[in-house]
Amino acid sequence: MSRLPLVAALAFLASSAAYLVAALRLSPGSVEQPGPGLFPVAVGLLLVASSSAFVFQSLRASSAAAAGPPAEAGKRVTGVLAVLAAFCLFLPWLGYAVTAPGLLVVILRLFGLARWPVVAALAVVATAASYYLFGVLLGVPLPAGVWTR
Amino acid sequence: MSAVEGLVYGFSVALSPSNLLACLAGVVIGTLVGVLPGIGPVGAMALLLPSTFALDPTTALIMLAGIYYGSMYGGSTTSILVNVPGEAASVVTALDGYQMARRGRAGAALAVSAVGSFVAGTLGVLGLILFATLLAEAALGFGPPEYFALTVMGLAVLSRLSGGSLVKAFLMVGLGLALGSVGMEPISGVSRFTFGSVRLSQGIELVPVAMGLFGIAEILSLAETRGGLPRAMSVRLRELLPTRTEWRRATGPIVRGSILGFLVGLIPGPAAVLSTFLSYTVERRAARHPEEFGKGAIEGVAGPESANNGATAGALVPLLALGIPFAPATAVLLGALVIHGIQPGPLLMTQRPEIFWGVAASMYIGNAILLILNLPLIGLFVSVLRLPQYLLLSLVVLLCLVGTYSVNNSLLDLWVLVIMGGLGYLLRKLGFEPAIVILALVLGPMLEKTFRQTLFMARGDWGLILSRPLTLALLLAGLVIVVVPEFCRASRRWRARRAVAVGP
Repeated sequence: MSRLPLVAALAFLASSAAYLVAALRLSPGSVEQPGPGLFPVAVGLLLVASSSAFVFQSLRASSAAAAGPPAEAGKRVTGVLAVLAAFCLFLPWLGYAVTAPGLLVVILRLFGLARWPVVAALAVVATAASYYLFGVLLGVPLPAGVWTR
Repeated sequence: MSAVEGLVYGFSVALSPSNLLACLAGVVIGTLVGVLPGIGPVGAMALLLPSTFALDPTTALIMLAGIYYGSMYGGSTTSILVNVPGEAASVVTALDGYQMARRGRAGAALAVSAVGSFVAGTLGVLGLILFATLLAEAALGFGPPEYFALTVMGLAVLSRLSGGSLVKAFLMVGLGLALGSVGMEPISGVSRFTFGSVRLSQGIELVPVAMGLFGIAEILSLAETRGGLPRAMSVRLRELLPTRTEWRRATGPIVRGSILGFLVGLIPGPAAVLSTFLSYTVERRAARHPEEFGKGAIEGVAGPESANNGATAGALVPLLALGIPFAPATAVLLGALVIHGIQPGPLLMTQRPEIFWGVAASMYIGNAILLILNLPLIGLFVSVLRLPQYLLLSLVVLLCLVGTYSVNNSLLDLWVLVIMGGLGYLLRKLGFEPAIVILALVLGPMLEKTFRQTLFMARGDWGLILSRPLTLALLLAGLVIVVVPEFCRASRRWRARRAVAVGP
């Protein structure tokens, strides 16, 4: 049995409660003169109510429907997510010219391309092409990293 | 402007070289997106939104709308040839389309769905013009209470229609509204939930959320199933012509599907997907040989394929007439309007006629281009599927990242993209519908503004709502839609339990 629905339900409830608490600290105003807090409090109540109901539902559903992915596939999913997070983290320091090929190498390997020369060539070509398209043609200031400082 | 004058004017706008090019680009990209599993119309539109900054707003909208309806054409191709629906709206097409292909009638199935899409697309534009002009005129008298009630009703219908349980739908509505409440609040300028971040006070952008939930999440789901797609069968041009019997059998479903699709498109929710299921059911009921369904009945291809194109036209009505998007794809279109500084609403048609009429006329042109392009070029589009999956997915990931970054040159947007990607993957696993999040995110600020204006207008006197019959009717309708099915279910369960208790 997968515990995923229940864990997710509890996480939903916790974040909903946190949102509601933060919303309650904003000024609600009055009914005639509504303030910035009124709507978020209403949304927070909706969130807390529906996530509580979801927790209740997942507790009752003993045979959890959502089975996790097979172990190897799950590893691939977490791998992609981890490399995406790493990309965001290192982009400002290492710059696009380093992080983009790095990202591509890992993802191409994760998706099953085994031959290293092909991986490296694709990573370099795709980085150069995307840099030309966005950085040059569209004029997006892609981060250069610490190298230029 | 009368409808005829408007259309003539619209064609003069849409036929300008740059707009024609945008239309062509839009429908070609749309077809590709429809063919490829992994990136759908919403993700693709969000991805290309930033590249339309430099364009004129009309041109931008023409291109993005082209992606939207072009994807409906492309989706059918893979459904029929490889039994892999490129879009959710083509799932039904695979049922009979792939069976037709296995019997050697792939060409006929493709031709009928392209013609059906064309008929539905052109009829849909007529419907769009008719309904949108009427609705916009009526909406000139709408005040904040009407807009508030309309949005509430829309969200209520959305949570009912999006599949899954009501609790899950409400949770998604709440999540979207909560994300939409981050940032500088519109009336008094107070920063909410920003944790002191200046960037966050501008709010959470639509593009990273849409691309995360629909692009990255989709890729993560595909990452589970390693390996390529099955090989598509090839279709020769000569085989494309359906027989006379096939035409005769397809005519009724195409007309019915077009009308049904358009009407379903007007309803908030996943209209295109829903319309295909409805059309399939209707056709099976109406068919003289219902037992053929699932074994390659041409009606089962013609009806749904026409319906999903009709629905895209219908879904544009609330956007262009009221400025309220009720489908995720039109939410992205609204984002495009706002980015170009255009105030969506009932005045759009009179103040910026080139946008409304230009987009409407471009849909005629786009549908014609799609019909011409699709039949001879099907082989080319399908050959895209032969690209190895690792290449396709890595490129989409890179495009999502760079595309998101290019909107605001913001690292925060990248983090939103990645977090939403992970969240979207989990939500799909758990049976939630992420499309609701997008809509609630876009509708949230509108909902809050009209809510507070309504309260302000009422000054504590609830008689205001009673004195506005439309507001009252819409709010009651929303309540009925949410409460009545739950009540019926509960009473059925109670009766069943009693029957068990009393029974022998």
